[in-house]
Amino acid sequence: MLLALTLSFFLTQDSTVSDPRSSTETRTRTIAIDEVLAEQAHLRVGDRVTVSPTPDGLGDTVVVGAIVRRGADPSEVARGDLRVWMHLDQLQTLSNYGDRVDRFAIETKHGADVPGLIERINNVAFGFRAYRSRDIAVETSRTFQVVSRFHRAIGIITIVASSVFLLCIMVLKVEERRRDIAALRLMGISRWTVVRAIIAEAALIATLGSMLGIVLGWLISLLVNSHYQAVYRTPLAFSIVTPPIVIVAVALSLVLGITAGVAASLRLVRQPPLALFGR
Amino acid sequence: MRAALAKASLVRHRARTVLAILGVAIASAMLLDMVMLATGMRESFRELLLTRGFQLRLAPKGTLPFDTDATIADVSGITATLRRNPDIREISPVLGGSIHVPIGGRDVSASVLGIDPSVQGDYELQSGRDVLEADAIVVNDRLLRALGRRIGDTIRVATGYDPQTRSYSGQRNLVITGTVRFLYGASDQSGSAVRRETLLQMNAQSPTRAGDRASLFMVRARQGADAEQVRGWIEAQLPNVSAISIATAIAQVDQRLSYFRQLAIILGAVSLFVGFLLVTTLVTVSVNERAGEIAVMRAIGVSRSHVVEQVVMEGLVISLVGALVGLALGLVTARYLNSILSAFPGLPMAIDFFLFQPKAAWSALGLVIASGIGAGVYPAFRAASLPISQTLRREAIA
Repeated sequence: MLLALTLSFFLTQDSTVSDPRSSTETRTRTIAIDEVLAEQAHLRVGDRVTVSPTPDGLGDTVVVGAIVRRGADPSEVARGDLRVWMHLDQLQTLSNYGDRVDRFAIETKHGADVPGLIERINNVAFGFRAYRSRDIAVETSRTFQVVSRFHRAIGIITIVASSVFLLCIMVLKVEERRRDIAALRLMGISRWTVVRAIIAEAALIATLGSMLGIVLGWLISLLVNSHYQAVYRTPLAFSIVTPPIVIVAVALSLVLGITAGVAASLRLVRQPPLALFGR
Repeated sequence: MRAALAKASLVRHRARTVLAILGVAIASAMLLDMVMLATGMRESFRELLLTRGFQLRLAPKGTLPFDTDATIADVSGITATLRRNPDIREISPVLGGSIHVPIGGRDVSASVLGIDPSVQGDYELQSGRDVLEADAIVVNDRLLRALGRRIGDTIRVATGYDPQTRSYSGQRNLVITGTVRFLYGASDQSGSAVRRETLLQMNAQSPTRAGDRASLFMVRARQGADAEQVRGWIEAQLPNVSAISIATAIAQVDQRLSYFRQLAIILGAVSLFVGFLLVTTLVTVSVNERAGEIAVMRAIGVSRSHVVEQVVMEGLVISLVGALVGLALGLVTARYLNSILSAFPGLPMAIDFFLFQPKAAWSALGLVIASGIGAGVYPAFRAASLPISQTLRREAIA
């Protein structure tokens, strides 16, 4: 079971640096700080700092016992919060909070009836409620849900733009071969054969284009991740290329390519071959 | 004549021209949206901060306004120190907190601001009157609905609530005197405001919030005074506070939301490139198709510059028409995208991610036109440098 109490605190660095193993320091409590704070405040393991609930208030002198890398929490990504982990009793005393916590985290046994347990806790507990971790995760990742909806909207606009672009290119490619198509039609090749040939070409172009796009997307994904992980100092993956994404991208590209091929080829094969020759 | 020839060339392949214009329109719409996103967010935030003319905010050292529960002690002393600076015209201390109102067996909670109504810069009064008396409270529409009360009603308000014992602390009867719109409040936030003295009295029993405290000071500098200089002076005089100017606040927000600005720049650049590529391809194919026609024109004495101008004009017309359609389309999509991003939890209602500014529209239009001219350069060069006799011979054989 984990107990958590979250408050704002102020750290002041002491001018002396001591060895935490020395006998005089054994009574000094230790804290853990996140690596961003360590870097910004130039703190190292073993440094002594004073923690207080107000900038001008009296506080406790503690030793930095560990520097911690924070987990990939989407809800914290754009926030510039710095974090310190203290012993619960020390934080309660320092903050004058009494024997209180903000939340309990409970780990259940494998196969436990979690909904039943939540119901039991909520029935007997007075003044607080139990939630599943995943429900809290959904609530705290609302920011990312908004970003995700925004990305989806941008994606739709991009798909519309790509469709128009593809259709335009296919029309140009097919029209460039007016005379070839006219010659084929005059030789007795059926309209359907011409259409199929153009569709096959469009499908091939779309497949090759989407393959190239996937490689490009993967490389960009690496770049995006490395850039934003550095900017926000988080191990969170901002962009991932998964098999379903690849399948959707290739399928969409094929559908768009074939549709563009059909539209472009039908425009030409409907015209008489001599008209295609310009006569 | 150049215009007539360019028009004839575009009209000859209507479907192709329409598709190209549509492609450029979508690219332009995207470009406008991205220019609006890149610049609008910052401008919108700046306008929000300057709504009431306070150029500086003082928060507890190392924090941003209302980012943590930390408060600044000794408000009277700090106010006296600030008054020593002749460049400071107005000081508005604000204390933040939360209130609990027991209504019919349920607990309605909301945020509360303790302010001085004569200098406050946090809300606009919508109806009723301000918190002129010590027992007055103003609320936003959302809280009024949650309370199920009306202006003039008295409510029992507490600043502390222990859910385990269901006991309230810091209770006081307050009269709802008006409804307000909080300038920095989120759309899904229930909010209220009382006089700061009232909130201090209600907090008096709290071990962590008692005393002459404020969460934030808003400072208005004298007209013509250098806000950055005042900021520096405050930080030197008051080591326990962080003085934040509009520029600093915008820089902080920029850092937090840099993702959107960078996304806007990348997508804007991609849109511009796609539009450029589309126009280049189209005009190049058009020139290739008309190689014989161009060679004949050159053979009968039409100058190279005339050919170049005609081809560039084709690209320009597609880009210009596409850009104009795209600007209208962009405004529609910007509204839609803005409605998505407005749902950010805790975002002030007044913040727009996509803020229309004439400068943004002119920038987008200018970029599209420049890319249209650029797109025509290569095909124009090809058209102007066609070998006349060889081209005519090839066309004759074909």
